[in-house]
Amino acid sequence: MPALPERKWTGYLLAVLSVGALTLVLKLLGGHVNATTVSLALLLNVLFIATRWGSVPAMLASVFAMLCFNFFFLPPFGTFTIAAADNWIALFAFLITAVTAGQLSAHARKRAEEAESGKREIGRLYDELREAFERASHAEALRQSEKLKSALLDAVTHDLRTPLTSIKASITTLLDELRGEPPLALDRESRIEMMEVIDEESDRLNRFINGLIDLARIEAGELQLRRRWGVVDEIISAALARAEPITRQRQIELEVEKELPGVRVDERAVSEVVYTLLDNAAKYSAPGSRIRISAQRAGAELIQMSVADEGRGIAPDLRERVFDKFFRATRDGDVTTRQPSGTGMGLAIAKGIVEAHGGKIWIESTSAGKGTRVVFTLPIGAEDVGEDRQYSMSASDKL
Amino acid sequence: MNERPRILVVDDEPQLTRVLRTGLKSRGYDVRAAADGLSGFETFNDWHPDLVITDLAMPTVDGLELCRRLRSISQVPIIVLSAKGEEKTKVEALDLGADDYVTKPFGIDELLARVRASLRRAITQSKSEPEQTIFESGDFHVDLESRKVTVRGSEVHLTPKEFDLLVYFVKHAGRVLTHRTLLAAVWGGDYVEQDQYLRVFIGNLRKKLEKEVSGQNYIVTEPWVGYRFNPGT
Repeated sequence: MPALPERKWTGYLLAVLSVGALTLVLKLLGGHVNATTVSLALLLNVLFIATRWGSVPAMLASVFAMLCFNFFFLPPFGTFTIAAADNWIALFAFLITAVTAGQLSAHARKRAEEAESGKREIGRLYDELREAFERASHAEALRQSEKLKSALLDAVTHDLRTPLTSIKASITTLLDELRGEPPLALDRESRIEMMEVIDEESDRLNRFINGLIDLARIEAGELQLRRRWGVVDEIISAALARAEPITRQRQIELEVEKELPGVRVDERAVSEVVYTLLDNAAKYSAPGSRIRISAQRAGAELIQMSVADEGRGIAPDLRERVFDKFFRATRDGDVTTRQPSGTGMGLAIAKGIVEAHGGKIWIESTSAGKGTRVVFTLPIGAEDVGEDRQYSMSASDKL
Repeated sequence: MNERPRILVVDDEPQLTRVLRTGLKSRGYDVRAAADGLSGFETFNDWHPDLVITDLAMPTVDGLELCRRLRSISQVPIIVLSAKGEEKTKVEALDLGADDYVTKPFGIDELLARVRASLRRAITQSKSEPEQTIFESGDFHVDLESRKVTVRGSEVHLTPKEFDLLVYFVKHAGRVLTHRTLLAAVWGGDYVEQDQYLRVFIGNLRKKLEKEVSGQNYIVTEPWVGYRFNPGT
């Protein structure tokens, strides 16, 4: 940074005044100081001017100090002539030392100032960048949060309104008949159909609300696992029995490894996971196709279970996203089918349950190359594991 | 039109199509259902229904695309089933040629009323002659040649643009007309974003019409969508 004019002139003035004042003090001391002491004192003064005011005032101080040294302290005193040849050497040595030391000091000072300035600039840039990143991350977080809230709202309103529409349309038709204005005669089958729709859609609403409650529990860390020693066959049997009405038109193949060890899990919760996978497999595959359920050991400490269907499958880029809350491949992804769309909660809940047990869940292609295979692992468990364990989704999963 | 009007219901929710099929059949309509826009369009081509009821959000070919495809080949009345929050899509469907909409969840009576009105309009339009210069609709008598409008026998003096706007309303009585549709029809395609023109002219038209028959709301505002002309008795 260039020196201000006032500052520059102050440097020159102080260079001259300090050398003059020091010369006066040294002269007053008279016989107590020799030429060497004088030259060192003046040199010290030049160094001070160099470090404080820079190279040009230091140069001025060096020349002025040399003149004072010659005039007052080298014989013959009071003149600028030098009698002895060794005094010439002393004078030049002084001048060269003063100028060199002055310039070096000034240069060092300048470098130090530049380094300090660079450090300040880097600090400032770092702060600016950090603030910019913080603003950008905050904006991105807000945007993501808004997007998630919007997705939640869309999913909830759609999944609540759709069955409500069927219920309301059924009820108003039945009411019209009862009121008889205008006269309307529904046959028995039509009346039963309307009642069935109301019944089924009420169940659908109930399932949706239960799903919301489960998700909320997982997110709030209130999912209580009641771990007991259980048998994999029984867990699968319970899920199959529950899923029988929806898998009736599919061929179920069961492949459970013999002599599987017992697992220390919440049997009801794991059965819910298997049911969810069976429900999805039935929903997204054609009647008559096969659904294969398998369970085997995966190493010494894990049990691996899977449900595979022969449906259209899920594109690799959607295989992680289907575990996100309210994500539905048939509506939100690129899967274009005429098949029904789920609520977007089943796999998110299944993931919550599996991870709560310390396991993992993922999707892979089937060995036949078509369809979807959902695989999950569960630790076999140990005696010292607590009976209950709370689980919550990671912060990034939360809305 | 057939003795039993044919209605095609297009919705990917099987429960809703079951209810609508039963509800409409019980009212004397012949009903067929399709699960998406593609099969809906195929059924339309095979069966030639008198009216189409379609959902908007569907897999494969959605309700908007179905409206577009149907309008390219037919003037069949289309009623769209929309949900609160789908206003933008609803307006898009109306701009693409849908005649009316019903917001979910709805009672069967509301849907039936819309169905009857749409079928009535379709019959009226099919009966009207291309060179027709006099329109009678409810309280209104409009003579295109002399550019005279009477409401319940009293003449109403309108500016040329007000007259054009009213004629468009009378010709499409009962239909939901979006802002864009009205602006394009009366002011031309360059003015479809100029909602303020429409508001001013609608305001003036209402004042003049209500001066003749007070308390009668002939131009009904459809919030966020447009207007519906109700010609009265």
